[in-house]
Amino acid sequence: MTEQDDITPTAAQTTETAVGLGKGLDVGTANLAAAVQNDEGGITVNVERNAFLDIPSDVYSKNMLTKLKVPYVVHNSKLVVIGEAAFELANVFGRETRRPMADGLVSPSEQDALPMMKMIIQKILGEPQQAGESCYFSVPAESLDVDNNVVYHQGLFESLINKLGYTAHAINEGHAVVFSELAESDFTGIGLSFGGGMANACIAYKSIPCLSFSVARGGDWIDKNVANVLGVPCSKATAIKERGIDIRDPQNREEEAVAIYYRSLISYVLENIKSRFESGQNMPNFNEPIDIACAGGTSMVGGFIEVFREEFAKIDFPIPIGRIFRSEEALTAVSKGCLVAAAIGED
Amino acid sequence: MESVDDIKEQLSARARTATLEELADQGRKRVRLIRAEHVAQMITAAVNHAVQDAGLLPPEQVDALVEKSRDEFRAVVRDRELEVQAARDAQEQLEASEQELADVQARFLELTQELALARSELQQVRGELADAQQGADAGAPEGADPTSSEVVRALSEELAALRANVGQQAVAPTSEAADASAFAAALDKLAGTLNDRLDTFGKKMGISAAVAGDAPVDFGGMFREDVDQSLESNMDDIQLKQKAGGGIADNLAKLKKLKGGG
Repeated sequence: MTEQDDITPTAAQTTETAVGLGKGLDVGTANLAAAVQNDEGGITVNVERNAFLDIPSDVYSKNMLTKLKVPYVVHNSKLVVIGEAAFELANVFGRETRRPMADGLVSPSEQDALPMMKMIIQKILGEPQQAGESCYFSVPAESLDVDNNVVYHQGLFESLINKLGYTAHAINEGHAVVFSELAESDFTGIGLSFGGGMANACIAYKSIPCLSFSVARGGDWIDKNVANVLGVPCSKATAIKERGIDIRDPQNREEEAVAIYYRSLISYVLENIKSRFESGQNMPNFNEPIDIACAGGTSMVGGFIEVFREEFAKIDFPIPIGRIFRSEEALTAVSKGCLVAAAIGED
Repeated sequence: MESVDDIKEQLSARARTATLEELADQGRKRVRLIRAEHVAQMITAAVNHAVQDAGLLPPEQVDALVEKSRDEFRAVVRDRELEVQAARDAQEQLEASEQELADVQARFLELTQELALARSELQQVRGELADAQQGADAGAPEGADPTSSEVVRALSEELAALRANVGQQAVAPTSEAADASAFAAALDKLAGTLNDRLDTFGKKMGISAAVAGDAPVDFGGMFREDVDQSLESNMDDIQLKQKAGGGIADNLAKLKKLKGGG
């Protein structure tokens, strides 16, 4: 997984040495990420894949998982492997992982995965540094292209985070990208989060969100379509996508399929943003061109921002645009934005 | 006779169909054509000559044989024309179906766009409502916008007075019972309209909870069993994967400046 090449295993207790109050949590379809300020003036982000895999429960398997330090939970008499390990095992056995979330929201078909999600969130957030510490968590905006309701999703995670001793606050995912990436522009511009289940957009003026919405396509949509055309499991398609390819220069049929669906996704998102902005009333008038910041794990593929610019050039965008750039910390930008919101809230 | 039929079958079996595009692809801009009838005539003439030269049949039987061969050939040509016509009909039906499909797809696209537009407008209205509620909430400690309050109070009083009048009309004996009934119905309608206006004002002033169940819902109880259960796990022994990121001091400083605190 290229996007995590610079990830290094460290002790879990590291989170407990953090100094700044407030934590940010990116509740993503593909990944869960928790950000906290550290004592070196930077931030530390704990990331875990939001996936599970059931395997038969027996003493031998349990001992092996324990010895290999593969995270598991015993649930309903089954061994449930959690996180990145589940993804790797699924690829080895040619199986599909279980996904607690779909299209950016809690999956109705995976309600019994909530205890596992709670354990992951507890692990990556750690204990609150003081009772009731603020934790801002990301929620998607309502979708333009599917009928979804974020109230239940938001209520669930609010409740879960409060139970861990924090005071939970929801923040729109696109807005979190604005907080994380558009400081140079006085938090004015468009924050785009390309996640696993959705693409979220937020247009903000001086940090105030003017318009937020989402489209229900993301990395999973690419995986599903690539898996269909290649006749492989989705987890295999994910592995192809994340093995370090450049969508401007696909090297084989598999990479060609990924490149085609990436371009289609970017074009779809841009067209939806354009039509939404065109139909929006009470939109602010910008005197200067505004920036577009892209973030999210799905934006980490090689050539993403170049293809984004190419597709952008094809449409007549209704707002003057300055820079179009991808976050240098695309995978963790949303959690970082949540952390900024939490920290400013703690002041 | 049978040998002539055989020749026809052989000609038909060895013939192939090629479209003009295919011929063009092969670099052929012109082709030489010969009608099937001419082929048949040539074959007939050849057979006639051969038979006459062989002296196997008298001339009158040769003529009868030739005539019969012509009939057979015409029958074959007619069958082929029917096949061609059937193929043309099938092609037309296919094109009509494709056109129908394109129309349906265009209509679907149109409806999808309308749906997206409707959703956008709905979100816009929700945003405006939320702004109105926020504005009312912000002013709540000192009371809501006095102008709006006065309007609501006036409307409430107007509604109460109208309802009282309707009540009086209902108990007062009158000889014009039918007119009173109609008058009461009209007042009821007016009262309903005023109620709707009051609800709208209420929502705009941020008191929608009083007229509609829009208050945030605590879902905590729904997940108690799911998230509170204690599970056997080795999570405590697992090392987390961490990423280091740039600090947020600049972001915080700029935000504070925006808020007027820096």
